[in-house]
Amino acid sequence: MTTEQYAIPGLTNVLYIDLTSQSYYIKDRRDLYEKYLGGIGVATNLMLEEYKEGTGPLDPEMPVILSTGPLSGIYPTCTKTVALFRSPLNGELGESYAGGHLAMSMRYSGYETIVIKGVSRYPVYVAIHDDKVTFRDASSIWHLSSAIDVGKILREVEPGAGRRSIIRIGPAGEKGITYASVNVDTYRHFGRLGIGTVFGAKKLKALLISGNREIKSPEHKAYRKTFSMLYDTIVKTGLTEKYHNLGTSENILVLNELKGLPTRNLQAASFEGAEKISGELFAEKYLLRRVSCAGCPIGCVHVAMLKRQFSKAHEYEALNISYDFELIYALGSNLGVADPEAVLELIDACEKAGVDIISMGVVLAWATEMQQREKISTTETMGLELSWGNKAAYLRAIDLVVQAPNEFYSALGKGVDYASKKYGGEDFAIRLGGLEIPGYHTGLGNVLGLTVGARHSHLDSAGYAADQKIFNQPISDEQIVDYIIDEEDRRNVLNCMVTCLFARNVYTYENIILALKSIGIERTEEELKELGRDIFRKKYELKKKFGFKFENLSIPKRFFETPSTTGKIDEERVKRAIEIYREKRGV
Amino acid sequence: MAKRLKVANPARCIGCYSCMMACARTWYDTISLKNSRIDIQTKGGIETPYVQIVCHACIDPPCMRACPLGALTKRKGGGVNLNKEICDGCGNCIEACIMGAIHLDAEKKAVICKHCGVCPKFCPHDVLEMIEVEDSGEIKVTDTGPVEDTSPTSPTASHKELYGEKQSEEEK
Repeated sequence: MTTEQYAIPGLTNVLYIDLTSQSYYIKDRRDLYEKYLGGIGVATNLMLEEYKEGTGPLDPEMPVILSTGPLSGIYPTCTKTVALFRSPLNGELGESYAGGHLAMSMRYSGYETIVIKGVSRYPVYVAIHDDKVTFRDASSIWHLSSAIDVGKILREVEPGAGRRSIIRIGPAGEKGITYASVNVDTYRHFGRLGIGTVFGAKKLKALLISGNREIKSPEHKAYRKTFSMLYDTIVKTGLTEKYHNLGTSENILVLNELKGLPTRNLQAASFEGAEKISGELFAEKYLLRRVSCAGCPIGCVHVAMLKRQFSKAHEYEALNISYDFELIYALGSNLGVADPEAVLELIDACEKAGVDIISMGVVLAWATEMQQREKISTTETMGLELSWGNKAAYLRAIDLVVQAPNEFYSALGKGVDYASKKYGGEDFAIRLGGLEIPGYHTGLGNVLGLTVGARHSHLDSAGYAADQKIFNQPISDEQIVDYIIDEEDRRNVLNCMVTCLFARNVYTYENIILALKSIGIERTEEELKELGRDIFRKKYELKKKFGFKFENLSIPKRFFETPSTTGKIDEERVKRAIEIYREKRGV
Repeated sequence: MAKRLKVANPARCIGCYSCMMACARTWYDTISLKNSRIDIQTKGGIETPYVQIVCHACIDPPCMRACPLGALTKRKGGGVNLNKEICDGCGNCIEACIMGAIHLDAEKKAVICKHCGVCPKFCPHDVLEMIEVEDSGEIKVTDTGPVEDTSPTSPTASHKELYGEKQSEEEK
């Protein structure tokens, strides 16, 4: 592909920001875009360039990379931005995706990728308005009690309403909780693996970006046609129905029925209170409205209204809280909470703190079991008694984890892997690859996918979907491995674009090729597949540099004790499957 | 029959910007939010409902009266037609429109809605619709029966019978 063919403006620039010197420069990196298209492809290669051996996750020189792709802001539901960093939670590859307005704002500002390095001497926020980049003192909003309030203030002091994205951290990121998240436009997040902690270490409270540029397709007619086809596929077929109906929380009852919903720290895989915290119930009783990421007609963001009475004189406060499947699992079934309003209040507490809700839920579930087994006492918890379903105790515990008033809570703020190595209970500290698990206990595919996945996320390969296949018709373990490998590669390609994975069945290889072609970029299916494999190899190269070793992987006993959707999981079988995977992958 | 754009169900807006992209794509041959004649705005971030700023197809348009060059003329069905050749970007029309529905493009020409009907086609939630009006722009009284039922069982509700041919998904 020649450079001239890149008639689409942008897809060339990388904005480098140095917080130490409060300076920035823009570099033409079409070499990277031509080869890797964008998103995770460009970010992975930039990380390989930038990473200096031995740099810790929170060291100033460690970069955070935000990257969009060739389809961002151009086609419907291509609304994600990838963040790449080194995770302070497990020391490994930190990779996280968020929607909101960020991708569109970055694309229309002309910076498809942003690399942030250095550390500020005092709290700052960075404001990017087209070609203007400014560093502003954020001391007055540091310590602000809520990630949500930060948005309220910056909206007033900065221009660009409706065309901008504001990403920000809460107190958890400032205080070094290793699973702090970055809030994106109130209802979306870079949730996992502690990117908020990295922002905090850099003293970067927020980043605001607005763009108002135009992009031209060299073949506008073809572009219009392709756009309409993709739009119709998303809006008028059943492919994304789940997301614009109940949303991901539809899965609560589905997984409960399949006996794959982790409950009470995965002591069980179904929850007697599932009906009460189901997607159906939330939709009927609490759903206030749905909103979209900029450029997506689905509207999957489900916002609930919690009306709370606070005095006998009929006085109420109303809280708007977005909910999803993983949050309901983490703060609902896995904590034995069967009260939907309690789940919403717990979500709200985590949102204000700015933490990864999955990690927080697993940490609290482990602590509850520890206390029940008398491996810790009220001495460690400072008098707090944790018990399943005890909302009041969990609300306090979330606050204490963030405030870290003693050694125990400080350990909880470093993740369940760290805490269990210090206090015991490793066998029921439900994490894989050092990352607290999402809400699936479906069988081999799930455990394998999370263990070998580049970032140990269910979004690496959706191993649970392989288990659902087995549930319907038996397939061999090798086929499961093959499924995971194919899915990893395919998702790497989608994550170069960067589409939302909810539209993964809309953006088939065929449609990606057409979408690219309609904006003047030629790729064949084989080239795309090779790109996916190449990114996989580079991610593992990075992981190796970060110290990842298969030999260090261990899978807690709990996964083998509690029967899953597809029955009890056999430890030896998992080990064999990992070997097959390593052999096929050459890692 | 004259038609004009109407914001029929503002509270149903999900902020997807599909209408704005459709407008810029159709009339400016660009991929942008900037040259859209319809404007979806936030007032207080995504936390509060979206605001749809569109031309209201005035019967006696203030923007037309404010134009010193006569670049704006009355449109059949309300609102105005813009003669781009004449427009010199003085911005008087922008001042005159208290809706805030007019802005200038990169060539300093007014961007004004012509009620073409493209944006409602890309609205997934029935926020926008085209209504029939008198040539003068006066609203036509056409419906005299009971108000339409828009409950989930109604055939006019959003996503009408879209999922009849629900395809099998790899995952629930």
